[in-house]
Amino acid sequence: MKIEEVFSRQRFILMDGAMGTQLQRRGLTPEQKPELAAFSMPETLTAIHRDYARAGADLLLANTFGANPRKLAGTGYTVEQVIEASVRCARAAAEETGALVALDIGPIGELLAPAGTLAFEDACSQFAAMVRAGAAAGADLVFIETMTDLYELKAAILAAKENSDLPVFTSMSFEPRGRTFTGCTVESYGITAAGLGADAVGINCSLGPREILPFAQRLCRVVPAGMPVFVKPNAGLPNPDGSYNIGPAGFAAQMAAYLPTGVSMLGGCCGTDPQFIAGLKKLTAGKAPAAKVPVIRSRLCTPVRCVEVNGITVVGERINPTGKKRLQQALREGDGAYACTQAVAQAEAGAEVLDVNAGLPDIDEPATLEMLVRELQSVTDLPLQLDSSNRDALARALRIYNGKPIVNSVNGEQKVLDSILPLCKKYGAAVVGLTLDERGIPKTVEGRLEIARRIVAATDAIGIPREDVYIDCLTLTVSAEQSAAAQTLEALTRCKRELGVRTVLGVSNISFGLPCRGYINTAFLTLAMQAGLDLAIMNPNTPEMMAAVRAYRVLTSQDEKCNDYVAAYANLQVQTQQVTKTDAAAPAAAQGTDPLYDAVRRGLKKEARAAAQQALATREPLDLVNVTLIPALDAVGDGFEKGTLFLPQLLQSATAAQAAFEEIKAALAASGSKGESKGRIVIATVKGDVHDIGKNIVRVILENYGYDVLDLGRDVPPERVVEAVRKTGAPLVGLSALMTTTVPSMQATIEALHAARLPCKVMVGGAVLTADYAEQIGADFYARDAKASADYAKTIFG
Amino acid sequence: MELCYPDRDLTREILRCFGASGWQPDEASSRLLRQAETLLRSAATPRGIWRELPLTALEVDTCGDDLARHLHGCDRCVLMAVTLGSGADTLMRRLELTDIALAAAVDATASAVIEQLCDELEARIRREVQASGRYLTGRYSPGYGDCPLALQDDLCLMLDTVRGIGCSVTPEHLLTPRKSVTAILGTADHPVTGARAGCAHCLLRNKCAYRKRGTTCEN
Repeated sequence: MKIEEVFSRQRFILMDGAMGTQLQRRGLTPEQKPELAAFSMPETLTAIHRDYARAGADLLLANTFGANPRKLAGTGYTVEQVIEASVRCARAAAEETGALVALDIGPIGELLAPAGTLAFEDACSQFAAMVRAGAAAGADLVFIETMTDLYELKAAILAAKENSDLPVFTSMSFEPRGRTFTGCTVESYGITAAGLGADAVGINCSLGPREILPFAQRLCRVVPAGMPVFVKPNAGLPNPDGSYNIGPAGFAAQMAAYLPTGVSMLGGCCGTDPQFIAGLKKLTAGKAPAAKVPVIRSRLCTPVRCVEVNGITVVGERINPTGKKRLQQALREGDGAYACTQAVAQAEAGAEVLDVNAGLPDIDEPATLEMLVRELQSVTDLPLQLDSSNRDALARALRIYNGKPIVNSVNGEQKVLDSILPLCKKYGAAVVGLTLDERGIPKTVEGRLEIARRIVAATDAIGIPREDVYIDCLTLTVSAEQSAAAQTLEALTRCKRELGVRTVLGVSNISFGLPCRGYINTAFLTLAMQAGLDLAIMNPNTPEMMAAVRAYRVLTSQDEKCNDYVAAYANLQVQTQQVTKTDAAAPAAAQGTDPLYDAVRRGLKKEARAAAQQALATREPLDLVNVTLIPALDAVGDGFEKGTLFLPQLLQSATAAQAAFEEIKAALAASGSKGESKGRIVIATVKGDVHDIGKNIVRVILENYGYDVLDLGRDVPPERVVEAVRKTGAPLVGLSALMTTTVPSMQATIEALHAARLPCKVMVGGAVLTADYAEQIGADFYARDAKASADYAKTIFG
Repeated sequence: MELCYPDRDLTREILRCFGASGWQPDEASSRLLRQAETLLRSAATPRGIWRELPLTALEVDTCGDDLARHLHGCDRCVLMAVTLGSGADTLMRRLELTDIALAAAVDATASAVIEQLCDELEARIRREVQASGRYLTGRYSPGYGDCPLALQDDLCLMLDTVRGIGCSVTPEHLLTPRKSVTAILGTADHPVTGARAGCAHCLLRNKCAYRKRGTTCEN
């Protein structure tokens, strides 16, 4: 059979069934590795393939599911040897019927960072080794299956596309609620795989035909019409003894439900055997797959959240250093945590997508954007808008993004289109096109439309569908050019109507230079929504703008029964009082009590933040730290040491102090001073360790005491610690390791610091450490808890 | 298989995991724990898996004296694994950034919850194995006593936890998602009790806060 038959969808294509259980049934013992069957029992392996081919399978999966470098380590065989021998067995069986042979690729068996410690590029290179070997062995296609992590699937697809010209079929496994183990939805899977260039998509394993059916139907709706969809279900659900609950006849009966769905390829997974495939052969004889009708929508996603851009969608604009001193400072220091807190706050305020911009003249933008994307996607499930005109920055960010992002932006300049669009196509991203070119922004509506047409011609040519193109007709400052607002809105409406694209605007630009900008912004946003705006890039922390969005959704019947509106505002009372600036100064704190001290002592986060804001109106930031915060923390710390206060209370005080500190830092950054640091400390959870709550507690406590803490995160290799200490000149390093197996990497880090002759002290902590053990591995200090680390820091910095 | 998030009030256990054993929490801390419980309940997707095997399938003799003593007299074993799923990890990562007190409360709650889930799964296994006329030891996890964490690699492989419950092992033998547990129980055709590692073999014996107070972590 020819691979073209798969794509012509004229008849049902059959795939094979289970391999592992067949091997066991035919003699594989629990001690034997199934990956090595091509060496230990080649005749049996070929016989299994032959039985599937004779039963009617058009596509045989070679026994290479686990033939990755990690699983083959220590077996004495290379990836190339195992894949060559396994493909040879399948090919020998396929010759009789002309079936196709696929290089089968399963999960590596280790979670990718941030969930685990496997780096994305390491996963890519493990898959790449398999793909090269499979192509050399003569496989007809690459079949990536049983994936539960979208990120790992992305690594595998990229490896397949970058290392061969073979068609790529992908398959994920879903649990009864329609999500994979890592929470990935059917929609996120379908649009991400299709965007990355998969040639066919499907669902296998975990469930039986009946349970997979609704997920397969959803998958058919989100992938392009021409893309084949397949299923390889288990033989029903597992019995307590490990067998499955339906036989070949029951399987065929349940599979009959797939015939009218648009699914065009059928096979089996765990518990199925050649008889099941013979049953499918009978079921599909003389029948043709139904037409598949996708529902065309504009979608962006992360694994766990698929956002349909269907009506006004809010893009949070706060992760952009332009004009934001505090973020600039964080990015210069390579600190992603501040941006992450901004992400969480915007998500809570109602943002549905987050814009991410790392454009500062004096920083390495590609490295910073990549770092931001990596950090942000570990804490937020909102899709990201990668905001850069730097090709290298976009390439790095797109590569590691988990899901389908949007790129902001290209414009009408041919060289920009030529440089950025291929990246968007390769990584399956949606794209923003600005209606400007080398001659600037056209004044007329027609001029902007002309550029939009040019952009759309370019996206059409490269194969980016219209629903993934968002045209920005550009918001100009109304105080400078008053008639421009109307031009922008008219261009927006016409682009949408005439080109069938989505539209986007950076809303807040409109009010630049005017007082009370929120009024203008809100009115403009409302007009733009009415003109057909899809993506509003704005500050979701501005209550009146979010209110305009929610009200608009009510008035245009998008918010059914006003549910979202009521949920957002039921407990609020609108304050209409306008505050003049001179009134803004806070009343002095009541005599005799310091509300900030009190809030921190009692662990009240909101109160501490408010008290700090008030106090900053009259007191110096550093005075607040030294006179109020530190004494409050000391008092709590003493109580903890004496046993009168417990860890939950200590931590609530720390959280309250942290909230106050954010206010203080913002005030310092706004005044342009960095403040007087008490000293710099580098902290990390060592290589191989993923447990970092202890280290994070230490970070919060040290920051509360006014130290500048550079937190390198978890699973940090020794070289990164050395590099950070060298760069910052930090005189103190804190290392954390929770488990016995990762203490050696703590020792390696200390040795690396010593070998580099860096004059820093090292304190260590973690569940399995003791003072003796700490001394033994060369540490200067064993910190039994976070308070002890702050006490030690005091002895270093005075 | 999916496991039910436990209904039992675990406050006592949660406080123990939170380093505040026996404490009567103040109002703010009670609120914190309630909030942690609500968040974890919606983020966790508890799953478990188990399988009975001949003891020869494991290389028990390379796993230290304590496990060998525990399995003394047994000819077969039950392997089990339980995880709270990656959603719990994601939740904690986010909270560690924005609210360390809440993060620590969720962490402590998760530890207590997974222990409870292990108890419940063990009880279920016990019922089934005893119904077949056989006897079991208690459960024993890699890392207890002198039993190496590396044993987790074999347990996960033999249980196929990657496919079964979405749990895997890092090169340093740590389980991911973080809130996951593997364990082994011996089974025999005659009554067996097993032997828990006890304090004498515990890595933490010199710094243990419970021992300083004259108790152990078991009570």
